[in-house]
Amino acid sequence: MKERFSVFSFFEIFTIIITIIVIIFTSVLILAIVLKGLPYLGQAFYSEEVRFAVKLSLYTASISTIICMALAIPTAYALTRTSFPFKKVCQMIIELPLSMPYLVLGLSLLIVFSSDFGKALKELGFKVVFDKNGIIIAQTVVNLPYVIRFIRTAFQEVDERLEFISGSLGATKWERFITITLPLSKNAIITTIILAWSRGLGEFGATLMLVGATRMKTETLTTSVYLNLATGDTGASMASATIILIISLISLFLTNWIGRKNPQESRMKDVNQ
Amino acid sequence: MINPMVEIKDYSIQLGTFQLNNINLSISEKEIFAVLGRTGSGKTVLLESVAGFYRKFSGAVSLQGKPVVDIPLEKRQIGFVYQDFGLFHHMSVYENITYGLKIQRKDKAYKKEMADKMAEILSIGHIMNQYPGTLSGGERQRTALARALILNPKLLLMDEPFSSLDPSTKEMMYQQIKKIHKIFGCTILFVTHDFNEAQRMADRIGIMVNGELRGIRNSADLFEDCQDQEINQFLLGGYERRIIV
Ligand SMILES: Nc1ncnc2c1ncn2[C@@H]1O[C@H](COP(=O)(O)OP(=O)(O)OP(=O)(O)O)[C@@H](O)[C@H]1O
Ligand SMILES: [Mg+2]
Repeated sequence: MKERFSVFSFFEIFTIIITIIVIIFTSVLILAIVLKGLPYLGQAFYSEEVRFAVKLSLYTASISTIICMALAIPTAYALTRTSFPFKKVCQMIIELPLSMPYLVLGLSLLIVFSSDFGKALKELGFKVVFDKNGIIIAQTVVNLPYVIRFIRTAFQEVDERLEFISGSLGATKWERFITITLPLSKNAIITTIILAWSRGLGEFGATLMLVGATRMKTETLTTSVYLNLATGDTGASMASATIILIISLISLFLTNWIGRKNPQESRMKDVNQ
Repeated sequence: MINPMVEIKDYSIQLGTFQLNNINLSISEKEIFAVLGRTGSGKTVLLESVAGFYRKFSGAVSLQGKPVVDIPLEKRQIGFVYQDFGLFHHMSVYENITYGLKIQRKDKAYKKEMADKMAEILSIGHIMNQYPGTLSGGERQRTALARALILNPKLLLMDEPFSSLDPSTKEMMYQQIKKIHKIFGCTILFVTHDFNEAQRMADRIGIMVNGELRGIRNSADLFEDCQDQEINQFLLGGYERRIIV
């Protein structure tokens, strides 16, 4: 505790200055939305259109998050705990969309669902193109590779010897997964859920390609920002943008809060933090 | 002829640059076998191999005549006490100890009864509600032991199970393990760095040198001279140190 006031070196000052520039730039962006949008926020809640967009966004993001998790958890397990031929290739295919523009993903979705297959689905009563089902599918497709990667990393970090011990104590693979792997990656899974959900709310590119932007029909919050700006209603546009911002802030706060909270007691808890 | 509890035949395994080389060992039922050897000589790998941890190897490891990798892990009935204990840190000590019973869907009263019994044998009653992260080294070790012993495994594999205990607790543990061994008749294979402990506990002792299991002998004859200079050196080195200390 001797060196309480360390003298900054030139390098440190340099990094701090860069950090300050980044902070100023980011704050300006956030403030621009908040200052412009806040005045319209009150009236936005009386606007039927914005209320529709909020509801549609919350609904589609929630459903797509559930679908993503339901697909990602088994996939991540298979990728980390089983061995099958061409696993590396499979993993690459799964993660390929990570580097694809969402607009392009949306385009491929459009091609798939306007094909005979899509038409057959429509005959069966499952409409995708220009329908809110399409929004859910677009969000799912955009989020899935991220979610799989996060959960895969979480599973990888669980010490496999703990699962081995659990097995030697009589647990089947399923029981090992439920009692050891899953609880030990709980934090990562919750964080991933929040992230997938807020990313779903913010999805625009793929959604636009697949379901278009029809007022009061496929109008999510992001679509609402776009539509209203295009038609010159800056107020409504700003209000929707502010709502998205507020939701993002809440989810960011939640993820940080969960990350900090450590349910397992540790003797190092005062040392580490 | 009755099948030995553990039979290792021409077993070799490559892990990175380390190789466990051509191991042959047969341990009969109810025997206590100790493995000695320098750090990094492959003792832990040997124990894990017996437990069927690895999939890529040559040769064979069988438990009671059956290849260990052909028995589903949950049916092997082995108790494994890891060197670093491998406690489930998201569970309390009580939950750790009764984990196997929970898997067997035993009722609460039975779990409590068994846990109390273990707590008494290993004197860990006072830490039942603590989490592993808060335990002392010795408490962790005993928790790991209790978790394995509570199921009466046929085969008990222990990696330096008493290393972080003080002499008098160690003494008590020797007696308890011997008692458990007598009552339940399990086979025990354990690793230790303590010659005295190996001789006190084991029927036979094997010495690992650079991934090879050499010089298997009765524990009474541990210090008997042999042709293998590396073994003599290892044993003598330990012996001299013991005299000096
Ligand atoms: N999965 C692995 N990949 C690569 N190397 C490994 C692996 N597992 C073990 N080793 C190496 O094998 C050697 C033997 O390891 P092992 O843990 O069996 O030593 P040990 O005899 O138990 O030593 P100690 O007394 O220190 O516990 C070590 O050099 C270790 O680094
Ligand atoms: Mg070891």
